[in-house]
Amino acid sequence: MNHNQQSNEVRHDDENALSDFLASLTDYTPTIPDELVEHYLAKSGFQCPDVRLTRLVAVAAQKFVSDIAIDALQHCKARQAAVVRDKKDKQQKEKRLIMSMEDLSKALQEYGVNVKHQEYFADNPSAGLESASRDE
Amino acid sequence: MSNEGIVDADEFEDSKVRVAADEFGRSIAKVAIGQICERIGFDSSNDSALEALADIAIRYVRDLGKTAKFYANVANRTECNVFDVIQSLEDLDSSTGFPGGSEAFTSLLQSSAMKEIIEYVEVVEEVPFAQPVPRFPIVRNRKLIPSFVQMGETPEFKHVPDWLPAFPDPHTYVYSPVWNERTSDPRSDKVELARQRRKAESSLLSLQKRLLSSGSAVTSTSEVSNGSKKSRFLAVTDGQTVNDSTEGEKAALEGDFNPVVLPGKRVKESSMENHVSILETFAPVIEALSGRVSESGENGERDFLDKRPAVRLNFNNGRKMMGDSLDLRLWNRGTGRISSWFGRDDVVDDKKRRAEYILRQSMENPLDLPQL
Repeated sequence: MNHNQQSNEVRHDDENALSDFLASLTDYTPTIPDELVEHYLAKSGFQCPDVRLTRLVAVAAQKFVSDIAIDALQHCKARQAAVVRDKKDKQQKEKRLIMSMEDLSKALQEYGVNVKHQEYFADNPSAGLESASRDE
Repeated sequence: MSNEGIVDADEFEDSKVRVAADEFGRSIAKVAIGQICERIGFDSSNDSALEALADIAIRYVRDLGKTAKFYANVANRTECNVFDVIQSLEDLDSSTGFPGGSEAFTSLLQSSAMKEIIEYVEVVEEVPFAQPVPRFPIVRNRKLIPSFVQMGETPEFKHVPDWLPAFPDPHTYVYSPVWNERTSDPRSDKVELARQRRKAESSLLSLQKRLLSSGSAVTSTSEVSNGSKKSRFLAVTDGQTVNDSTEGEKAALEGDFNPVVLPGKRVKESSMENHVSILETFAPVIEALSGRVSESGENGERDFLDKRPAVRLNFNNGRKMMGDSLDLRLWNRGTGRISSWFGRDDVVDDKKRRAEYILRQSMENPLDLPQL
């Protein structure tokens, strides 16, 4: 009995939390516009007249993208920190943080998305070999 | 967020030509993703990286929708509800893992994927999309072919029901011969053409007269306030016909255009002579034309034409030739001759060139009229 009551209460709280959240979504404007999300959801067959659900999907996508971007930012900062070692330690000037394909592909690797670019293109099979022979 | 990619003209043109069907949605997604990245802390992004991330975001949204629809269908519903969405969130996030993912049966209300999102909304500041986005795609109403009933026709064949689209009208597929309805009368056409030409010539002549009369009015008051074209006209022609050619013309043409403040008196006297002589050259032409076509408002201007020179003028049938003599084509033809006469090698600016044109006009006409 107690256990049931407890679980009922917990469920009640969760329901409240969820319904409160959905109510708050009507005020919140996600960065990804509603029309865009509705368009792509309609394309995939999602049918719901409730705007809160589309906002939920928009927020979920926004969170997803920001997670990836934060990971890419960390990769970018790690790379910059690795480069700027010696000379300008005291005056570490603010270099611009640019999201590059490399950082993005590293970040996406964890999510199971493979967007690696070719590191180099060789125009003939002996392209890399010549420089080795020149060094000698 | 600035774009690092350099766009040159060719690339821009290419992107104008090759536009995918989804281009609008993709561009909006790119902007939204750019805003997200900017808020996170990036200063700028490579174009390819931004496009890739936008593409991934779009795919995520589509996958969410597809999975939510799947769960709704599995539950015998067509419309999705919040639990379908939560379940699809759990599905998609399962690759990265979330707390409670390993448990088989958990209440969806307690879903931690959902909790993360709730947390995200509370923590992160709200950044709305930069611009208003219209609803898209725009659905245009197709114009359907009206049915037999709507056209008010009955189909000819009994097996065709009348709610089907109507057959096209016979004039769209039956060839019927066409002939010219308008009767052509060559004589009346020629008469009409000649009348129109005459009208053009007479209006041109009246313009000339008006120019002359206004020009004479200016010098008679001896006010040359602005060095206008008409006063220059007379100043220059003064120089010519008085035969102090070089002095008068140089004074007029040498850049200084308070020109008629030349030898003041001389100008006035010679101008009176001259404008009459110029009008005299026009007088026979005007006479001839006005003799054939009566123009309104001309009577007042005939005061100028009292003095007649003793000039014999031959007229052809060709009224056309008179019209042509006033034509701009002749003005242009004479340009080469005039400039060579003056023998000026230095740069003639625009006003001087106009003065030359006017000179030419006055000189050409006495030359041309004998040709008539």
